[in-house]
Amino acid sequence: MAEELQPKTTLGKSFPVKPKLKPKARTLSQTPESKYWSSFKTQQIPNLISSINSISFSQIPPHLFAAAHSASLTLFSSQTLSQHSVISSFKDVVSCSSFRSDGALLAASDLSGLIQVFDVKTRTPLRRLRSHSRPVHFVQYPLLDKLHVVSGGDDGIVKYWDVSSENVVLDLFGHKDYVRCGDCSPVNAEMFVTGSYDHTVKLWDVRVENSKSVMEVNHGKPIEDVMFLPSGGLAATAGGNSVKIWDLIGGGKLLYSMESHNKTVTSVCLGRFGNESGEEAMQYRILSVALDGYMKVFDYVNMKVTHSMRFPAPLMSVAFSPDGMTRVIGTSNGSIFAGRKKRENVESGLVNFWSLGRVEEPQKRLLRPTYFRYFQRGQSEKPSESDFLVVRPKKLKLGEHDKLLKKFRHKEALVCVLSGKNPENVVAVMEELVARRKLLKCVSNLDNEELGLLLSFLQKHSTIPRYSGLLMGLMKKVLEMRAEDIKASDILKSHIRNLKRSVEEEIRIQQSLQEIQGIISPLLRIAGRK
Amino acid sequence: MIRGGRSHVSSPPAFSNDAKRLLVCTGNTVSIFSTSTGLQIKSLEGHAAEVTTVTVEPAASKVLCYCWTASLDGSIKYWDFSVPELLKTVDIKLPIFSMVIPSLLGQPTERNEKQHNIFAYVSVEDTRETTNPRKKKQPKPKPKPLSGRICKCNLTESRLAGGVTLAEMKVPQVITISPSGKYFGIRKHHKLLIWKVPDVESERMVMRKITLHHTKKMTVLAFHPTQRIVAAGDVTGRILIWRRFGDKTFAVSDGLVDGNLMSSEEERPGVRDNDDADSCTTWHWHPSQVNVLNFSSDGAYLYSGGQEGVLVVWQLDTGKKKFLPRIGSPLLYFTFSPDPSLSSVSLQMSSADNQIHLLKMPSMEILKSISGIKLPCSVPEGYEALCRGIAFDQSAGLVALHTGNYCIQFYSLLDDRGISEVQVCERNHQPGDDVTVVVTLVALSQDGSMMSTAELKIAEEGIGGLVCLKFWASGSQNKEFSLSTVIYEPHRNSQLWLLWYRDAGISAIAFHPTRRVAVSSSYAGDFKVWICHDEFQQKDPMLQNSGWSCHAVGSYKYGSSFIFSCGAVNYISPCRKKAMTAAAFSADGSVLAVAAETLITLWDPDENVLVAVIGETLAPIMSLSFVGKSEYLVATSRGSKPQLSVWSMSKLSASWSYMLQIEAVATAVDASSFAVLALLPESPKCKELNGTVFQGRDGVILLFNATDPVPVASWSVRKAKGGFLAFLQVNPSSIQEYISDGKPPQTLLAYMNADHEYVLFDPYGEETHELSVIHREDLLASEESGHYGYASIYGELPEFQLKKNQATWTPSAPSEKPWETIFNWFIT
Repeated sequence: MAEELQPKTTLGKSFPVKPKLKPKARTLSQTPESKYWSSFKTQQIPNLISSINSISFSQIPPHLFAAAHSASLTLFSSQTLSQHSVISSFKDVVSCSSFRSDGALLAASDLSGLIQVFDVKTRTPLRRLRSHSRPVHFVQYPLLDKLHVVSGGDDGIVKYWDVSSENVVLDLFGHKDYVRCGDCSPVNAEMFVTGSYDHTVKLWDVRVENSKSVMEVNHGKPIEDVMFLPSGGLAATAGGNSVKIWDLIGGGKLLYSMESHNKTVTSVCLGRFGNESGEEAMQYRILSVALDGYMKVFDYVNMKVTHSMRFPAPLMSVAFSPDGMTRVIGTSNGSIFAGRKKRENVESGLVNFWSLGRVEEPQKRLLRPTYFRYFQRGQSEKPSESDFLVVRPKKLKLGEHDKLLKKFRHKEALVCVLSGKNPENVVAVMEELVARRKLLKCVSNLDNEELGLLLSFLQKHSTIPRYSGLLMGLMKKVLEMRAEDIKASDILKSHIRNLKRSVEEEIRIQQSLQEIQGIISPLLRIAGRK
Repeated sequence: MIRGGRSHVSSPPAFSNDAKRLLVCTGNTVSIFSTSTGLQIKSLEGHAAEVTTVTVEPAASKVLCYCWTASLDGSIKYWDFSVPELLKTVDIKLPIFSMVIPSLLGQPTERNEKQHNIFAYVSVEDTRETTNPRKKKQPKPKPKPLSGRICKCNLTESRLAGGVTLAEMKVPQVITISPSGKYFGIRKHHKLLIWKVPDVESERMVMRKITLHHTKKMTVLAFHPTQRIVAAGDVTGRILIWRRFGDKTFAVSDGLVDGNLMSSEEERPGVRDNDDADSCTTWHWHPSQVNVLNFSSDGAYLYSGGQEGVLVVWQLDTGKKKFLPRIGSPLLYFTFSPDPSLSSVSLQMSSADNQIHLLKMPSMEILKSISGIKLPCSVPEGYEALCRGIAFDQSAGLVALHTGNYCIQFYSLLDDRGISEVQVCERNHQPGDDVTVVVTLVALSQDGSMMSTAELKIAEEGIGGLVCLKFWASGSQNKEFSLSTVIYEPHRNSQLWLLWYRDAGISAIAFHPTRRVAVSSSYAGDFKVWICHDEFQQKDPMLQNSGWSCHAVGSYKYGSSFIFSCGAVNYISPCRKKAMTAAAFSADGSVLAVAAETLITLWDPDENVLVAVIGETLAPIMSLSFVGKSEYLVATSRGSKPQLSVWSMSKLSASWSYMLQIEAVATAVDASSFAVLALLPESPKCKELNGTVFQGRDGVILLFNATDPVPVASWSVRKAKGGFLAFLQVNPSSIQEYISDGKPPQTLLAYMNADHEYVLFDPYGEETHELSVIHREDLLASEESGHYGYASIYGELPEFQLKKNQATWTPSAPSEKPWETIFNWFIT
């Protein structure tokens, strides 16, 4: 009772000099999602020739992926991200490739209009599908069909092929411009969409008699890529700066338009977020890449961009492995950014497998006074939960500058902290000196070497907004007070030159910022009036 | 009627014989505290003026509890403080500043055998001539130069020993007595005067006296318990120790004659002139004035303390030192506990911030602190206007006031004791230093769960100034506030940062009555609305680290106003913005009133839009407050044209106003009346009136009904400048014990004067009842209660009544009737 009534006293406490608190970000710097996407360890595969037009993954493990660049098609292993093999029997630039669903065959198109089907293992061309008169930009094996391929070319015709006979089963007319992309439905072997530069996406069904499109949606911009979402009822189209989500079952209704890219979106693919088992069940995301060098992850359930990543080149193509472990992005300058997630459970699984045999527990030796450890026993004992813990009062840690300040050796404290690395501490000590009315006295007492230390600190940090309030004023005072000494010394003069440079640079920055402010403020006024 | 907040450190306290109680002079009473709990047990009431000395009569048996007290009312009283009961009064009719009774210390056994006369030596101010100068019919050129004198007083026969005046001096001095009771002394400027108490006392005994000289002004002296050693401290922080003083003068009667008594002049190091001492050594550690000197009871150590708040223990023989640092304020007194049965000597030390610390001695740790209300701390020149560092928690009866060592003290007005302290600014406080960091503002939310403080770091020649706004949240009911958010330079303006920092100082902080929203206004010309974000996250206990962030910024320019959301703060021509000088939320929180110098701007805090502008007053408004739930707003302004004005929200115009210098305004939460503390104007005519009517009181508390310019009641008070006023809502059951008769009031009005002494009373209660209570003490009296003067005047002034009836849309000019006129009218 008596203790409760006792007012808490602050007597005898000493407070070390502390830097000002920094504002904490209100939002977490990393959402779980961005953490997931940045956990792909990106590795650059350089030295491919010209831009990577297309990347496609094999559906079966070990998930090889094929990157089309120049007149060759390179197969990579998705485990090691190393080159597996190269298919180079092309006469022209390879534009697109597609694995069959069993991963045994690979269809590839080139700009000469030829489509070839290769055996993945032997790399020999098995079939040549020649019918397109213009460059072919899109070829794909349907997911559920091993016998046919779909292709589209610059002649505006979409062709449905019977691979074994090398015959065109259906010519689908309707596009008025180049057909650049397409995708086969994940739920139906007979349906697919194609996107064209005439701004439209057409949904085709080979069962329909008159070979007309079943549905058509207008994206508004030349379409670069189109894809079905896993349900088969939604499709995503990329064209211009936007990615649009369409409801195909609902009659081609536009659901959302994602417009966070600054340049043309070149490719989209389906990504998976979360692991199979766990509280966050598997969720699908749209990965889109654009010429602005950004890859964005779009959550099409919440209609939100959840992650964004910058790459140092215009991005041309993106693909995500079916097992969710590898993400590959092709750029226009011939390098591939392949990201691979570390597999966590592999190691532990192996250990479990090998450690079936009995493991001998190391027997605990009885401690005797002859052992050294006998005398140390109990020292590292952890308290159990029911134990009453007497907390030792925390020892206050005083820095070197704190000790000097305590002894009122102000100049030494300032010099000590200046020769340290931490600018926050320097400013904190300066503020404390201001509160003691000793800062200017300290400055006048500094010898030349220490003055140089101070000047170089000022030069580095006086333009940082957090410190500038104090340091700008101080700098002025220092220059006023120590002008003579500075004139006398060449080293100090060079410091002053640096200082001048950084101040000039800051002024330039401020001017341009003010220009921007001038531009923005009328807009804000207008927005506020509304 | 509750009064409290008195100084605990006006004079040295004393331990009872069993060391379980501590007698502290608190104003007119002596309060008895328990040393084990630190709470007040009882008090000795009876003196009519400040008690200056309390001396406990030492006794072999610990149950005997007798003490002598002396007071400025000229009486010496003898008490049995266990009961407590007044046993005897000796009236000497001169204000007593200090009293020692040597015979109490000297020979206690002898006293019992033979009934001696008990003599006391008192330091009095001789006011006999000065009390009624008119009668002598001679104009006094100047007050009597030597009004202080040391007299001898026969306590047994209750009279001054006639004709014995030991010394005369300009101001009465404190008498210090040696622990053995053989010597006592005073310090007189650069000298120490030491007398030897005669073995057998009688009235006309000639006392032997020696004088010790020094070159600096002495501040304190102390006697060694067994040897003839006296120590004295001076203003520069030096401690001088004279050994074997008075060898020549006192030796004969002492019987302590040594062989080498007559040492030659050369062998007396450090002794000046012909001073009667063997040697004089000087120790210098204290950087400023020494306030405390005391020898330990065995004489081996000397305790010293001073202005810088460090207790130093000197080993007397070697001069080695030990320290108890960072007590936080100047030390004033130091007393030993007399209980030798305690293994550890606890002793007591008072410091200037109205705290008494009980120390456990060998380890020098503080066992307990008895803290009184903190005294107003000094504010550097030019910044007084910025500091309004006091806030009341109306429901809990607490006051939050800032202290010198950057703390906020929570003081319970009802219980008259300190509750807790919150360290606002983590800086080591040096009591002697210039004040460079000031806590300028403190505001409490209505439920007392949130606090906001503003602090100002004063720049050194224009660099390094900083304004800092802090929000605090209390975890539970015990008022333990923890820091929630710090905002550096909350009103810093991109264009203003190089200018004088005072301009960006915070002028007011106000909390929303219901929501977690606060507003701060600044002299830089904008106000900001802050929102606490855990309002939305209360469900989740993990997200406790939420804080306050800026929600909106507003400013008022001539004719037009701008408000932006925080993300896009934009300052357009800041030089033309008006300084925001005060802010207040209405009782339901729907209106935010911000004073832009002389205008009052009304804002909708939800929508962030300007609703209306009303005005204007003659001088910049200093404070704004809504009158309870009514539609009235009270604004006060100071300066050359002071004004109290009441504005109607429904008519958006002034309803009435006075030209009054208002020090503080108090509004109750759910009443339509408000009280103001007005300073009396300082014109010669009023001064004359002051002398007769107000008897030196410089302020009045006026209780108004918002609709009516005629005050309901008025009280005159002292030390009103720098005073505060607040309504407290009290739980009737809790206050039952204080109010003896009648039904307990719902609200009490608290008045705190410039020295932080306060009084709580029922503003609506019976005047007669109050009168009876008030008359008992004179210190802070508001005895001229009721409708004395003011109400009667106002009743007869038709001009003011007219004012009320003016339904005006135009900004109405305040009343041009200054106080002088009213008084004139009253006299004729």
